[in-house]
Amino acid sequence: MSEVCVRFQGVSKKYPHFLLDNISLDLPEGSILGFIGANGAGKSTTIRILMGLVRQDSGTVEVLGHAMPADQVAAKQKIGFVSEDMRLYGAATLAWHMSFVASIYPDWNQAYADKLLRRFDLKPQQKIKGLSHGQRVKAALLLALAHQPRLLVLDEPTTGLDPVARREVLAELMAVLADEHRTILFSSHNTLDVEQISDRIAFIDRGRIIAFDEKEDLLDRWRRLRLVLPPSAVLPQLPGIVEVGGSDRLPVLTTSQFDPAVLSLCKDRGATVQAVDSMTLEEIFVANVQSRRELQPA
Amino acid sequence: MNYAMVRRLILKDWYLNRWLILGSVPAGLAALAIILIGKFVALLLSIILLCMVIIGVGAQLATVTTVNERKEQTLAFMMSLPLSWREYTAAKILANLIIFLIPWLIISAGALGVLWLPGATHGLIPFTAIMAVEMLVTTCLIIAAGLITESQAGTTVAILCSSLGINILGFVFAHLRGISAYMWGQQVHWSPTALIVLLAEFAMVPLLLGLTFFIQSRKTDFL
Repeated sequence: MSEVCVRFQGVSKKYPHFLLDNISLDLPEGSILGFIGANGAGKSTTIRILMGLVRQDSGTVEVLGHAMPADQVAAKQKIGFVSEDMRLYGAATLAWHMSFVASIYPDWNQAYADKLLRRFDLKPQQKIKGLSHGQRVKAALLLALAHQPRLLVLDEPTTGLDPVARREVLAELMAVLADEHRTILFSSHNTLDVEQISDRIAFIDRGRIIAFDEKEDLLDRWRRLRLVLPPSAVLPQLPGIVEVGGSDRLPVLTTSQFDPAVLSLCKDRGATVQAVDSMTLEEIFVANVQSRRELQPA
Repeated sequence: MNYAMVRRLILKDWYLNRWLILGSVPAGLAALAIILIGKFVALLLSIILLCMVIIGVGAQLATVTTVNERKEQTLAFMMSLPLSWREYTAAKILANLIIFLIPWLIISAGALGVLWLPGATHGLIPFTAIMAVEMLVTTCLIIAAGLITESQAGTTVAILCSSLGINILGFVFAHLRGISAYMWGQQVHWSPTALIVLLAEFAMVPLLLGLTFFIQSRKTDFL
């Protein structure tokens, strides 16, 4: 994980009703970034800028050593892209699509494509318009994977999939992860999917990156503390508190900077720590977004 | 410019629209067959029907290959491939123009050939040539509108303007003194007026296509 595969530096893009604001992030080769945000948060705009399909107003983007969007042709030779709003040609068969894409990418691996056909239970002679949504996503994923990209960009690929199709798609992605040189950017508002496969997490809200960290670090730092406060005691001032819930006597604190030392600090102030709860990625995301929105209302 | 990629994209559009392209052949042949009746009215009817087939196919193909790509969300798939906007634009223009040019050249040459026949009104040749090139210009306009606006509304407006324009300009050209004075004569007369109109029309083709490339190059969003 030495080389940087994707680098955003101070990237901004302004639309009449939306601003992608000063995005900076580095994605090392071989990492799997889960890119989480609510609908309209800026995930797709960020990804379109990464793909060179939208030109940023300011800042620089480098993908696999190529400046985007200027050098997008060279970069896209090594990128596999699947997006929820991407469609294949309905009147053509999957076999035609495979042959079309194979003619474009010199690294197309037919044996792997055939293996994916079997794994996804797809029939190459079937027309795309006759496929279900799940089959279409799998077909797009097959086309993106079979040319063996160094960077796989997946924009909400599991949205709208039934549980079986979702599991199959995620299972294939897990298999792809075995290649430690392949970098994946996986965007979704489904935190469960992201949590399963990512090793890094970025939260985006209202056009800003509000968190970008290793998944394990993020999960370790966020905790929910359930305290019991005697009538005489006051709520201790703890670092990184983003939310205070519960009642005066039984407060529930959400912290983004949990440290075991926090527990002794609570005891010193007369509070009893009843429980320290781990948080799911979804809980962390929601708490993070809500606390920031309270600080910076729209 | 990656010409191999441009060729692949052209073949892709032709393959995906093969039934529309192939369907226009019997329609064109049926329109041509009317000439066999051998009367002047049949000739006129045949030319009108042929023009309708050519313009209709040209407009439909331009709409399907440009507007539908965005409408049916296949543009994201295309633009995810290693191609630039230059290759995409060049492929779309060529795919549409070549399909248009084949019947257009045959029919224009056929119409001019008929007018060359002994006993025909040779004076109509300059006007016929002007109207044939006018069709080429309107097709370029429709292709340009489809690529630039990527919208059904924008392309429909261009098609309406083209249909209206071809009639209005046809009327105007037919009443220009330098053209009308020789139109019904037995001699071909390339007056300066006819030549200027023809050259202006020819100049419009690279101008429209160049403008399309220029505007495409200024676009910041391709999705």
